Amino acid sequence: MEGWLNQLAGTALAEWVRVSRWGYAGINTLHVLGIALLFGSIAALDLRLLGASRHLSLPAVARLLQPLAVAGLLLAVASGTLLFLADPGGYAATPLFLFKLGVIVLAISNAMALNLAPGLARASPRRLRSAALASLLLWLAALIAGRMLAFV
Amino acid sequence: MLRRQLLTGGLLVGLVLAAPLSAHHGWTGGETLELEGTITATRLGNPHGEVELDVDGEDWTIEVGQPWRNERAGLAEGDLREGVELRVSGEHAGEQLLKAEQLWIGEQHYVLYPGRI
Repeated sequence: MEGWLNQLAGTALAEWVRVSRWGYAGINTLHVLGIALLFGSIAALDLRLLGASRHLSLPAVARLLQPLAVAGLLLAVASGTLLFLADPGGYAATPLFLFKLGVIVLAISNAMALNLAPGLARASPRRLRSAALASLLLWLAALIAGRMLAFV
Repeated sequence: MLRRQLLTGGLLVGLVLAAPLSAHHGWTGGETLELEGTITATRLGNPHGEVELDVDGEDWTIEVGQPWRNERAGLAEGDLREGVELRVSGEHAGEQLLKAEQLWIGEQHYVLYPGRI
């Protein structure tokens, strides 16, 4: 594991992330943009599933917000991978970082389980509400853990 | 139902924000401290570099700048390396943690944060 992390840190891309001033700042900015897109759209969708703004049709709301959330997630994962390269060994040894990754895996699994098995249209109201609440709390936890990484 | 769920979420956020943050990111107003010791390890690079310093047998972590800041201060690659005698002044940011504002290697003076000294 450690050898593999050292190998990652030794790549030219990792070296660039480590020393670049505006490159690193730019990647950070993209990471924030990804999180903003993801959390902003998923929070709105979750609130709709929890019963807010029932006059808006769920399929229409989901058609708008789910692709935005997925795009935000992809952007956050791509930029996050680059940020990780700056110090692979350090991040891998930080419990809060591992907690954050675990929470993200749970949040993605929660979304996939809902969308793949019953689907938004066929899930029971109860199932929708519990998935939405889990989603809201898990993504919030991931966001907080990620931000706090800079402070621990 | 929804109100209670939102309240729980809000409470969670509040709890986390209220937890005392250990200093690392930014300045927290700690006292200014000067240390002298031997470098035992370094990790330089974004988001900022870290130098392990042996100060009379005590292991301190010294946070130095990002690459551009160290370079602007006049530090060249290899200046901060294992075995180098370092004098450093900065903010006492944690138990054995110092956020460097200026440092000296031999007679050479390097200023990382000109606005803070």
